[in-house]
Amino acid sequence: MFNQGGLSMEQAPPVMVVLRFFVTASIFGVLLGVYIMGDIMGVVPTNEYSLSVIIVHLLALGVMASFMFGALFQMLPVIAGVVIKMPTKKSMVTNILLVVGLMAQLFAFQTSSSILYLTASILLGAGLLHASTLMLKELIDVKDHSSSSRGMLFALGSFVIAIILGVYMLLTLGGYIDGNLFSDIKIAHYSFALFGWITLLIISVSFQVVEMFYVTPKYPTVMSQYLTGAIFSLLVLKVVALFSGLGSSILDSLIALLFIIYAGVTIHRLYKRRRPTSDATVWFWRFGMAMLILSMSMILVSNLTGTKEPFIYISQISFIGFALSIVFAMVYKIVPFLVWFHLSNQGYMEAPMMFDVIHPKRAKVHFWIHISMILTWILSIPFINIIILLPILMIISFSWLLYHLVMAIKKYNYTQKFTEKIEW
Amino acid sequence: MIKIPLDARDMEHPIPLQLALKHLQSMTQEEYLYMIHRKNPIPLIELAKEKEFVYLVEQDKYEIWHILISKNQNIKLEELIDV
Repeated sequence: MFNQGGLSMEQAPPVMVVLRFFVTASIFGVLLGVYIMGDIMGVVPTNEYSLSVIIVHLLALGVMASFMFGALFQMLPVIAGVVIKMPTKKSMVTNILLVVGLMAQLFAFQTSSSILYLTASILLGAGLLHASTLMLKELIDVKDHSSSSRGMLFALGSFVIAIILGVYMLLTLGGYIDGNLFSDIKIAHYSFALFGWITLLIISVSFQVVEMFYVTPKYPTVMSQYLTGAIFSLLVLKVVALFSGLGSSILDSLIALLFIIYAGVTIHRLYKRRRPTSDATVWFWRFGMAMLILSMSMILVSNLTGTKEPFIYISQISFIGFALSIVFAMVYKIVPFLVWFHLSNQGYMEAPMMFDVIHPKRAKVHFWIHISMILTWILSIPFINIIILLPILMIISFSWLLYHLVMAIKKYNYTQKFTEKIEW
Repeated sequence: MIKIPLDARDMEHPIPLQLALKHLQSMTQEEYLYMIHRKNPIPLIELAKEKEFVYLVEQDKYEIWHILISKNQNIKLEELIDV
């Protein structure tokens, strides 16, 4: 949907390729809320370990990976000029394996069943590797990289590493292989998944979309050219340090500092918009960047003081706030555009305009629900009694998005079925 | 020929594309779109190509893109560009 790579309608993936992933992500978000609610009410049997890994993987894979794969299927042809052949079939394979594999993984965490761990490692590993290696291979072949496409290369490379390490861990938990390196691999796994895959992908995309969507000044060249490569290199060094028995706190602090600088520059860019208008997606970006600064500051404080709690917990929650905010900002830009663009190009003169697909006011309402959810989560650290509000707000937040996605799909189908098409 | 001017330099994406597409869909043989933009709007050009419009794209010395598009196959866009 962006104007750099040269997209023709033949190359653009069908709108449902993207929307299917977004709907899947929203459903997993609702499920996450229901699961947390079940835990608080004592109706789901959990222990501390299964509870945290289930929440983390529902969020990281069910919600984030689904949103990010949907966005990547749409953006790769445009940002990097990469054409994914047969996108409907390939995205469907990924989507199904992701859903079934993740469900197997969640039940494996819940029951510690060996066969479920094996099933999850095969299905989830295959589904995630299928899409990420497919995209990575196409990106490697790109001759003239932009800062965005180069960053996506590092992000997808990080994801492939995180998936392979994740499969190793699942097989270890299932008792199929010796888990001598489990603790170090776990740190490497989540470092590449959170700081490599999720954050580097957001940074790469922002280099292109922040300037284009919001008419801001460009990012400094040194940042757009070298930041993603520098962070990826630091992550590799961190893993080397881990396996060499050396501490990684200096490297962690360096990574955190780079993320803080990036977030600060992004906020500054957003304040320098040429035509500042009231737009929920800008609010999501600003809030997301503020959350990234908070999350990384907590890592710095924790490293400086040598104290883990409550800093690491605040860091984790604010990191979730950061990632979800940016994803929501992108979804509210991508979905109305895609529905309008595909219908308009097909010649439907009565194609709904972007604000008819999802009205900007609806996105603003979602912003307040989302901000309430994240702040409730953080405030529940000192005020534990308010934790009951968290799953309620989470269910409302993802249901709100799900409802608007379904309505967008309905409007798309309705226009195709019941309105006149012109040749132009 | 009737000029349809569109200054998209300060517009947020995808408003320029939205407006340009609207003009192209209702364009007559006597009209041409003259758009100025801070970026080269490649999707718009690709669409113009697909729909067999004639087009001309040039960047001026201030790095502003001038995009001219018309339905009329006999139009001489190079005579209408103001760079």
